[in-house]
Amino acid sequence: MQSRGLASAMLNALVLLVVMALAFPIIWIVMNSFKEAADINAYPPVFLFDPTLENYKVLFDLADAEATNYGTLKIEFFKPVISSVIISIGAVLLSVIAGVPAGYALARYEFRGKEDLAFFILSFRFAPVLLVIIPMFQFFQAVGLYDSYLGMIWVYQIVTLPMIIWLSRSYVEDIPLEMEEAAAICGAKRPQIMLQVVLPLLRPGLVGASLLVFLLAWHNFALGLILTAKNTPVTVALLKLLNPGVSFYPVVSAGLVVSMIVPILLIMLGQRHLERGLTFGALK
Amino acid sequence: MAHRKARSGNAFLLVSLLPAVLILGGFVLLFFWGFYQSLTDMRFGRTRVDFEGLGNYTRLFGRGRFWDSVSATAIYAFSAVACEAILGLAIAKLFNTRALLARWFRPTILLPLVLPPLSVALMWTTMMNPETGVLNYFLSFIGISNFSWTSKSETAMFAVVFIDVWTFTPFFALIIFAGLRGIAPEIIEGARMSGAKAWGIFWRIELPMVLPYILLASLFRLIDSLNQFDIIFGTTQGGPGNATDVLSVSAYFTAFQNLYFGRGAAIMIVNWLIVLISAIVLVKLWQFTRKRVI
Repeated sequence: MQSRGLASAMLNALVLLVVMALAFPIIWIVMNSFKEAADINAYPPVFLFDPTLENYKVLFDLADAEATNYGTLKIEFFKPVISSVIISIGAVLLSVIAGVPAGYALARYEFRGKEDLAFFILSFRFAPVLLVIIPMFQFFQAVGLYDSYLGMIWVYQIVTLPMIIWLSRSYVEDIPLEMEEAAAICGAKRPQIMLQVVLPLLRPGLVGASLLVFLLAWHNFALGLILTAKNTPVTVALLKLLNPGVSFYPVVSAGLVVSMIVPILLIMLGQRHLERGLTFGALK
Repeated sequence: MAHRKARSGNAFLLVSLLPAVLILGGFVLLFFWGFYQSLTDMRFGRTRVDFEGLGNYTRLFGRGRFWDSVSATAIYAFSAVACEAILGLAIAKLFNTRALLARWFRPTILLPLVLPPLSVALMWTTMMNPETGVLNYFLSFIGISNFSWTSKSETAMFAVVFIDVWTFTPFFALIIFAGLRGIAPEIIEGARMSGAKAWGIFWRIELPMVLPYILLASLFRLIDSLNQFDIIFGTTQGGPGNATDVLSVSAYFTAFQNLYFGRGAAIMIVNWLIVLISAIVLVKLWQFTRKRVI
């Protein structure tokens, strides 16, 4: 009995170790974002300090010029956050509108080449995004989509649309077919069945899938790096914070926290859905 | 009557599939355009474009730097996936035990996966600073001082693989955890009754049964790691020297800094072929192990 208690204590200790390894970097960066520059660059690292909001003020350009330790450096971080929100929400909406009907068709219809089409959609998961970006860059320059929200929302579909199709197919397959058949016997038409029977049942899954796809859009970096100049998403703006050349960790830390808060709030909302989505529907 | 119904069904099918197929089809056209570009000497800002067949490829194959990039890509992806598979298995086993904290803290496994990989890369960059970083502070307790992380070419590859492993080990843990949960308790119980030890159960029952899950996770991660751009671009940008100059980063600089679009596209085509071949091999392996288990 005693050795069993010991084993259990060791297991709990190991779990705690893993949790610390996963959580510490995030806790540390949050701490750093509330430190003054001197505390961040201090060695040995400072664990107790007077918290300050200065980094966030500089990040969002709220501080008066020269009122901070960083001088008059101008940082534009509010706009990238807004850009990321617009592009990500736009990408999710377009993906849902174009992808859910396709996912439904793949789940419910038998037609020639169906599995080929499903594989074609899955293969986008393996697509070399950079290869598509080079011609995309020239195309965007030519038609004036470069640095536009519309262009970004379209190009994000390469990441978001296959995921929505794949996930909504898997969620539709979970809905018992009898519900639809019963509605059909009562004389309902296809579009009617879809709107009044399938969609309400699909809603929880759809919310989860949209959350996940929003995350994917929020994560994206390479597309924004190459296809935008002013309307950059938050990930690209973060990298620009490092560019000034000076040791800029304090403000970068604040920017990192901002870029991470949104996803962390989202997992609290839809943890179960995320597990299914992150594994491309492999887990139910 | 039946005939008419089938036709309206077809119209519905067409309408539901068409928007998605059109959007994705557009990307396929761009992909072929990219492939065509790799056969030309296209440069940004120059209108004249000459078709030169496999010229970009033969020139690439003759350069040592290109082969360094191929091996950097392979080393990065395969070592990251191997570490993640082993650690992920260990963490899945740990969180599948009856330990109380394992049940409480299971959601934290998701944490690294939901953060933008570029943010993760920058986060670790600030921690990996050789002089003031908190990692070297911790290492100093076990007698290692001034580890150079991304600042020296000898350790840079280790540092970027380390970041990939931290970020994506949870992905393996999540999938393997589901695999472990899927094993019927009666099988384990039966083995225990007939005198099997914990290690025996692990090697003879659990590992073979979660192997398809491990391979599935490896497939996804290997593809992503072979294409990895964010983590490396965010930390080393391929340096120091060309220590971490993987194909995707090399293609970016070739195309968007040196403006050799044709050659950049050729590098990406090579990268894509490597991804494709690795994926096919893993899918075959996965099908093989799945058949054996079921």
